[in-house]
Amino acid sequence: MVGETAHPTAMTQRLYALTFRLPLILWYGAFFVGPLLFTVAMSFFLVKNYRMVEAFETVNWARMFSRGFFWDAYWRTLGLAGMAAGLASLLAFPAAWALAFRATDTQRRWAISLLIIPFFTSYLVRVFSWYVILAEQGVVNAIIGTVGIGPITMLNTMIGTTVGYLTLVLPLVVILQTLALSSIDRDLIQAAGNLGCPPRRLLWRVILPTAKTGLIIAALIAFILCFGDFVSPYYLGGSKPPTLPILIIDTTKSGQQWPRAAVVAIVMIVTLLAIAFAAVTAAYAKRGKT
Amino acid sequence: MTKFQKSSGLIAPSRRDLLRYGTAGALAAPFVGRAWAQTTEINMLAWYGHGEPGIVGAFEEANNVKFVPKYYAGGDNMLALIAQSPPGTYDVILSDAEFVQQLNAAGYIEPLDAADYPFDDMLYPDFAKFPGHWKDGTLYSMMVRFGHLGVSYNTTAISAEDAMSYKCFWNDGVKGKVGHFDWHLPSLGMISLYNGNGAGLWDLDDGKWDAVQETTMSLRPQVGGYFDYGGTFNSLKNGEMLAMCGIGDWITGVLEKDGATVASVIPEEGGIQWTESYCIGKGSAKADLVKTFIQYMLSPEGQVKSAQMAAYPGNCITKAGLAMLNEVDPAEAKRTHQVTGDPMNPITLIETGRIHYRDIPVQQTLEDWNDFWSEYKNA
Amino acid sequence: MQGWLLGLWLAAVFVFVFSPIVFSIVFSFNSDRFPTIPLGEFTLQWYETIWADPDVWDAAGRSLFCSAVTAVIATTLGFATAYTDYRFGFRLKGAYLALALLPPTIPLIILALAMLAWFSRLGISGQLWSVIFAHSVLTSPFAMAIIRLRLEQMDPALEAAAWNLGASEWRAMGTVVLPFCRPAIIAAACLTAAVSFDEFTIAWFVSGLEKTIPVHILEIVQGNIDPQVNAIGSLVFITSMVLVAMAQIFSMLRGRM
Repeated sequence: MVGETAHPTAMTQRLYALTFRLPLILWYGAFFVGPLLFTVAMSFFLVKNYRMVEAFETVNWARMFSRGFFWDAYWRTLGLAGMAAGLASLLAFPAAWALAFRATDTQRRWAISLLIIPFFTSYLVRVFSWYVILAEQGVVNAIIGTVGIGPITMLNTMIGTTVGYLTLVLPLVVILQTLALSSIDRDLIQAAGNLGCPPRRLLWRVILPTAKTGLIIAALIAFILCFGDFVSPYYLGGSKPPTLPILIIDTTKSGQQWPRAAVVAIVMIVTLLAIAFAAVTAAYAKRGKT
Repeated sequence: MTKFQKSSGLIAPSRRDLLRYGTAGALAAPFVGRAWAQTTEINMLAWYGHGEPGIVGAFEEANNVKFVPKYYAGGDNMLALIAQSPPGTYDVILSDAEFVQQLNAAGYIEPLDAADYPFDDMLYPDFAKFPGHWKDGTLYSMMVRFGHLGVSYNTTAISAEDAMSYKCFWNDGVKGKVGHFDWHLPSLGMISLYNGNGAGLWDLDDGKWDAVQETTMSLRPQVGGYFDYGGTFNSLKNGEMLAMCGIGDWITGVLEKDGATVASVIPEEGGIQWTESYCIGKGSAKADLVKTFIQYMLSPEGQVKSAQMAAYPGNCITKAGLAMLNEVDPAEAKRTHQVTGDPMNPITLIETGRIHYRDIPVQQTLEDWNDFWSEYKNA
Repeated sequence: MQGWLLGLWLAAVFVFVFSPIVFSIVFSFNSDRFPTIPLGEFTLQWYETIWADPDVWDAAGRSLFCSAVTAVIATTLGFATAYTDYRFGFRLKGAYLALALLPPTIPLIILALAMLAWFSRLGISGQLWSVIFAHSVLTSPFAMAIIRLRLEQMDPALEAAAWNLGASEWRAMGTVVLPFCRPAIIAAACLTAAVSFDEFTIAWFVSGLEKTIPVHILEIVQGNIDPQVNAIGSLVFITSMVLVAMAQIFSMLRGRM
């Protein structure tokens, strides 16, 4: 492959390769792997007089695992994030369908550009905006009030939390689903239609299996984002009841209990990795069926 | 191949230069601000609002300093923030009085010279000898303001009569509409008062502590949310919450001035006093400036500023400050009952034993209380 | 589903996505401190407050600095990693790539906790650099993805041709690979800058007194809530959109070459 005239020595070649390979290893080692490993170590530390003391005790693990509220928060967070990911996927699907199969290329490109905009507005500001919109004297209740409904309490309830989660993930899920659906060969759909395949069968037998990978990945990303978000459950859900990210913040705030926060963090990471692994396996399983 | 070599030769340099200048500009940006104002920066750790222009603006201008505030909510939070920062980070620390002892024990604060402050002008003897502020005859922290916590409620939802007991938090009319300020100390203290522990509200044996936990849990169905400072404000203002446990006039006072139908009273079972004191951070290189600032906050001018603070009002602790407040802002003095002869005068309330200083639990650790608080929130 | 129904559904999704943005801009011109319906009067008061507040400007300066440096570091890392993936095969390459793409899957709150604990330990917490280090890790996978996609379009023979013409690997890198990737590199820089400019969880934990704009917003939301938040948010929105537009323009230049 390499020409005779400029044949680089093995040494310089190696150096060249390492120059590109090493930065990530060094940088991530110092600022990513280091912090994560330290978090694991920290979960075995003790806290005395508001100061962390290095130790190797399992007391933090025992304590968190024995607390009912930890497990309540764990299952609740899992459930909320799963619900939000599922809901976002369901709400996004018809929209993605419209963009992928009904819209012109120009329309689709515009729609996707527009859907990218939310990522560049502060999530905090959007949540604060919802806070005002959903309030008892807010925009929504003012609108439904004109037809004699309400007022409905939305803040400090699951509704508030869910709206916040959807604000975070819905645009992304629509984009990813649209990309997944757009990549389906339209001839395939055409052919199935010509062969007399009814629309519902077409959806279940052709489109969903083909777009499966993209759809699952979109839901997974939504799940990961919601699972780790503290803003919506706190500011729109009234922290009632709290989720794991809120538990982490509470734990670090009070009494410098970083080791216990580290326990929560590690449990979250392990959970996420397990779910991500399962989802990716499912996403890529039996792909060649169609 | 040639094509893009050409393009790279022609366009790249200018674009690369542009990027370089852009980066340089961005690099310089943070320093530009400082270049034209050679001011000393004072790092402040405080509850929300203490570093805002309304409070420190005049002092900054007069002394050519600039406060850089970091805000916390709750003493545990404050200790955590100090512990995470390198020593000497904070020059001035506004602490809740009950945490001064812990600050001192952890070696986070410098001793003060008592002669620097107007101890002969205090409105109440305790203020000169506030618990925990002195150690072995040395002053470590200077009290600057205080306020009282009781029942805070929406006057359209709870009657003034009902509000005279913490029992009103259990009213049917406020089901799902009782908020908590998200800090265990004031809320659990109030429940302890409601349980009839009176002056022993922080000194709970196992039986009493169990009873407090039980009473607190029985409030859970009424609870609509747990809020930080901003959330407490907003939810009382927009009617999401109709009663709030763990706060007092420091929040409803601001909303009242804004026209909201909210009020705070000290109920029959008694109220809790929050007390804020200034400390000089250990190792601060600007201790002298900080001392001047603390003196300023205790001067009549500073006391009035504190009483009128936009974020949350605090009562005067010096006679001179009280006199000046009555002179320059009689309306605010009247609203906060800081006038002679008012039966709800904060000093009178303390004198008649209706008020208990906020403290940390005596027989349990803060951790126990915090743990229970987590459990309560998750219930 | 019927076409009109799909269209309606799509419109509803767009209304949901854009209403908080639109309302936040509306509220930024509204006189009420706690906005309710009906709205108060039109005012520029909140923008004036920001304009006069040196803390906002200090924070804005830090945010710009932080996002610019983050962009440079993250894009460099992203390029090196993408090129490594494109060009070389080696043992443990799978693990290497997994590591490279891992950061976005870790929740921000956990990264924040871990970074602050680690930085405190090393004695480098509470500085703007702490935020930059953290953000560069967080954003470089995005830079890598963008640049890797571009490299995908590069004919491997191109680099080889340069060697055959006598260019060293470094020279080929400078005259062939880098120019080819330039649009992607600039797009990656803009994107990583924008992500960093908006990030608040990690910045909140590790910045100490060196607050950035999003941390300033968070503190207003936690503290004395007022519509300054909306005004700052609207300005941040414009800044980010400029960065995104630049990224878009540069990545479209791709088509011209």
